[in-house]
Amino acid sequence: MDQNRRGARASYVALTIFLAVWIFMPSTVRRFNREAFTEFQAPGLHLVSKSRDLARFWELKSRSSEEMALAGRDLARVNAALELKLASLDDVRRENTRLREITRYTVPADYMSVVARVATRDSSSWWNRIVIRKGRNDGIRPGAPVIFGNSVVGRVTAVHLTTSEVDLVTSPGFRCTAFLEGDDQNSIVLINGLAGNSLRTPQARISVIPNDYSTGTLQSPKAFTTGMGGVFPSRLVLGTVDLDSKATKPGSSFKEGRLNPSRELYNLQEVSVLVPLHQNPGEALLQGDQFQ
Amino acid sequence: MGWAWLIMLLATYPWLLGADLASDVLARGGFVVFISGVCIVAPCRRLRPIQAIPFAACVGFLFEARRPIPDGVLAFTLVAISIFLTANKPLLRNAPGLLRGAIISNTLACTAWAAATALALSTTEAPSSNSTLTHFALQVALAALIGAALYIPISLVQNYAMDRIGVPPAADTP
Amino acid sequence: MKEELPGKVLPSTPIDRLRLYGVFFFFAIGFIYVSVGLGFRQLVESGKLKAVSESQSRRIVILPPARGRIYDRNGEILVDNRARWSVKADLAALQKEFRAEYLKLLAAEKAREAATLDREKLQENARKYVLQRWLDKIWFVIDETNKSAKSSRIKVPAVTSPGERFVSIDDLRKHLRERRPLPYTLVTDLAFPGTGQALSPQDGMKAVARFIEQFPVDGPIRLESDIIRTYPHGTLAAHVLGYVKDSDELPPNVEDLADTKMDSLQKLQYSGKKGAAGIEETFDTLLRGNSGWELWSKTSAGYNQNRLKVSDPQQGSHATLSLDWRIQAAAEGALSKIRDPQGTVLPGAAVMMDVHTGEILALASQPTFDPNRLADRVTNTYFKEIDDAGGWLNRSIQGLYAPGSTFKIITAIAGMRNKVVDWDDILDCGPSFRVGNRDFPEHEPAGYGQVDLEKMLAVSCNVWNYQVGLRTGIDKLHDEARRFGLDTPLLKTPGDTENNYKEATALPYPADKRLVVPDPAYKLKIGGGAWTPGDTANLAIGQGYLLTTPLHMACVAASVARNETRTTPYIIHDLRGGTHPGAAPIGLTTAQYTALKSGLERCVEEGTGKTGKIPGLPYAAKTGTAEYFKDGKKAHLAWMIGYAPAKDPAVAFCVLIEGQLDTNTWGGKTAGPVVKEMLETWWPIAVKVNLEEKPDAAR
Repeated sequence: MDQNRRGARASYVALTIFLAVWIFMPSTVRRFNREAFTEFQAPGLHLVSKSRDLARFWELKSRSSEEMALAGRDLARVNAALELKLASLDDVRRENTRLREITRYTVPADYMSVVARVATRDSSSWWNRIVIRKGRNDGIRPGAPVIFGNSVVGRVTAVHLTTSEVDLVTSPGFRCTAFLEGDDQNSIVLINGLAGNSLRTPQARISVIPNDYSTGTLQSPKAFTTGMGGVFPSRLVLGTVDLDSKATKPGSSFKEGRLNPSRELYNLQEVSVLVPLHQNPGEALLQGDQFQ
Repeated sequence: MGWAWLIMLLATYPWLLGADLASDVLARGGFVVFISGVCIVAPCRRLRPIQAIPFAACVGFLFEARRPIPDGVLAFTLVAISIFLTANKPLLRNAPGLLRGAIISNTLACTAWAAATALALSTTEAPSSNSTLTHFALQVALAALIGAALYIPISLVQNYAMDRIGVPPAADTP
Repeated sequence: MKEELPGKVLPSTPIDRLRLYGVFFFFAIGFIYVSVGLGFRQLVESGKLKAVSESQSRRIVILPPARGRIYDRNGEILVDNRARWSVKADLAALQKEFRAEYLKLLAAEKAREAATLDREKLQENARKYVLQRWLDKIWFVIDETNKSAKSSRIKVPAVTSPGERFVSIDDLRKHLRERRPLPYTLVTDLAFPGTGQALSPQDGMKAVARFIEQFPVDGPIRLESDIIRTYPHGTLAAHVLGYVKDSDELPPNVEDLADTKMDSLQKLQYSGKKGAAGIEETFDTLLRGNSGWELWSKTSAGYNQNRLKVSDPQQGSHATLSLDWRIQAAAEGALSKIRDPQGTVLPGAAVMMDVHTGEILALASQPTFDPNRLADRVTNTYFKEIDDAGGWLNRSIQGLYAPGSTFKIITAIAGMRNKVVDWDDILDCGPSFRVGNRDFPEHEPAGYGQVDLEKMLAVSCNVWNYQVGLRTGIDKLHDEARRFGLDTPLLKTPGDTENNYKEATALPYPADKRLVVPDPAYKLKIGGGAWTPGDTANLAIGQGYLLTTPLHMACVAASVARNETRTTPYIIHDLRGGTHPGAAPIGLTTAQYTALKSGLERCVEEGTGKTGKIPGLPYAAKTGTAEYFKDGKKAHLAWMIGYAPAKDPAVAFCVLIEGQLDTNTWGGKTAGPVVKEMLETWWPIAVKVNLEEKPDAAR
């Protein structure tokens, strides 16, 4: 046992030395270490996610034919309605193209859309993340916006070979600009994931709301992306806005609010990553940065 | 026997993956099912320090890899705990001791990463609000609870694996 | 642990036990020492220590309030506060980077084996390089997006001021000396860097959005937003609105913080603003609001630690001006079109006011300035640019000019009231008129022949006025001019009438004591000698010593339109829609007044003001061309005053252009187009308002 003690003392000394070395180690080494452990876990995550898909498949397969028939009928109805809408959209699209030609408007920012399955979700006070089953091999790059339908899910923060981590809208590491519905002046507001909310649905903070903004008759006004920052395309839904009178200082020039992201955010099965075709400067900065 | 720790890691990994899946379920409430601290207790009781230390470091790095925790914080905390545990094996000589060890090491490790993360992120997001502190406390309490609840099943699997690869039983087993 | 373990594991010996007690004893002594010491400090010395720590470790940070808005009469925002986004570096978080950079520099310096090792300098350089690297990153994000955007519609913000691109070592030194605990500002105004003015608001917002979305969230670089004064219409009504400048004056409610001793750092973060001209200055106390403050504890290194107490700032009250921004814009636009051969805008002023209420609808002065560029950092070059052009002077209320022929209205009224002439008297007016031994000329070489009141007003006959002026006499003429208030200061300061904003029409520094309606005593006083009949003749056509402002002449026109002698102008809009308090009637017979009005109408229809004629809107005016001396040589002022419409006057106006030596400035010809543009803008607005108010009248 005494031997054990002596060994322990030596181990503590070794640990201290190693810790000191670790702190001054180039960040590439640490990044490599991180990367290695992530890749080690990737097959497990894939496996889990795929078995979940399989379970879902069998669950659906076990449905009775009556149920299927009912669902089929419902779908047919939805389909018919969508057909109608599509026809009317055709006109709009044509008009849009015509106007673009007249004004010689070039559509900025082209994206490549990558559809990805969600492997796991993970959240705490300090992060709100999902891991998706697509990675560097599929062309995903850090900083790319992640959407579902027309609402924003978050942004890719780290990319590995076959998996990527996505910071959700509610993650403290998430920041973007938005326009609020019902604001005629189109002032830019700041959206920031909010830390520290326990046992409540996560929210994001909206700050720098102009003082004269009020929700008016709108029940729950939406917040949209501005499309100005060069990351998110414009007019994607970020969530609904709650003005927070408690967080707003009386007499201050800005209001504060809370953003409630869409409910699906925590039940997502599949998302699309919009990878910009041209690398934006923020990405270039990220690559040379010690963060990540 | 030098690779015993790696085999142990593989044997423990399903549990870590399972914890991730459980975290997935709790994600809406913002909690992480944290078991890294529990996982190192049983191996520390039987493995030699030279084996237990890399095992603990790997368990730590696995948890850190996909989360914005400052590099190495959890890994080194676990290593420190494992050094202590291997040096004081008598503490783990009976069931209550083991359970206590599991709870304490899980709580300590959880506190370490949560505090480190909060400090690292405080430049942009001040951890000022009471709700952050409450959440912190709840997360740590959850870790303690999980330590108590999951120690026995995890250690059963780990002990089985150690038996299979021929790790000698703990010297002072009553 | 030792004592918990059974003897089997660790052999327990008496020596061990003794050692154990020793250790226990040692710790016990230590514990007692600490607790007794702590108790002593807490209980006995607490008062003293508290005072020491409060003065040493606390700090007040003052939070400036948002100023009130300024609206025009229709609720259009003339002055607002906009969000300004600034990028700041948290110096405390950068300490590590500073240190690393310093060590690197030090190593390099040592390797060079430099004779003297200036560590201070190295430290400064290290800080500068680190901050510069971060600044480069910020601009990289903003600039590169511009480059990669394929659409050519996105303009690259022209950052002219190097201050926003490079870290200045002097600034940094000053910051560390005076406000070390606060984050260092890398970019003051991300949207409109350097200039404080909009390239286009859209481009500015893009820069902000790019930074927000692309710059890493973690790290020592922070984004802060505050409120800055903004003038959305740029130069519009700049003289009326004024601008704001930094102020170090502590607001009164902060000085009252009696419970805290404030150290020398008390003014940290205090960059309060105060109005520096126009409404911003005169209504400063109302617009300013109340400052808030934060009480912080600080670390031993002098950085802020915890926020102990907060008092929130309160926004100032809003003000609604009587101006109509559309008419104001038209007036300024028309004035800026009048240029000399070199293309420089001629100095000028334009006033339009509501005849019935006295509210000023437009009060323009050229050249002007952009208050946006003065709202934050004023560059010396811009200050000088305005100064050289004479842009600080609000010519409509501060410029003193001889009114020229527009004064003939008063001469005529004086003549008729003193019964030396009547509306239908016909005077013989040749090409000149001899007073004493000097010939006073007519501006028409052939003369006008038989002239009555109406024709005089239409053609602006000088000789008629010489005769009537001389017949009336200087005393009566002088009295009449004073009766119309030509030398009465028009704008009261808010201090005079604190409780009635309606009364408080003030703009700062209006012309007051320098207004001149001359009489023999005045001439003697300024050393001009005895009064001669020639002086009277000169005064009769608005020349000589007479000095007044365009606003005064607009008031004369408004008074004539109402058949009264005085009009009090207001710049604050009366939301209750009150009418003018009224004044003494002019005192002409109906026939005389009718003839006066029709003469003014004929001036536009067929006389000197016909360049300003508007089909479908008959109005009344009197033009004037006054001589003044510029650099010892004769130049001309172009005047035009009047009211519209001719039949049922609603607005009165006055336009003045300062001709230069090389310009051909001529009464109606020069000023007419400005009047025309103002009225053409006003007319549709008035018709629309009328229709809304009396829908029946439309049918």
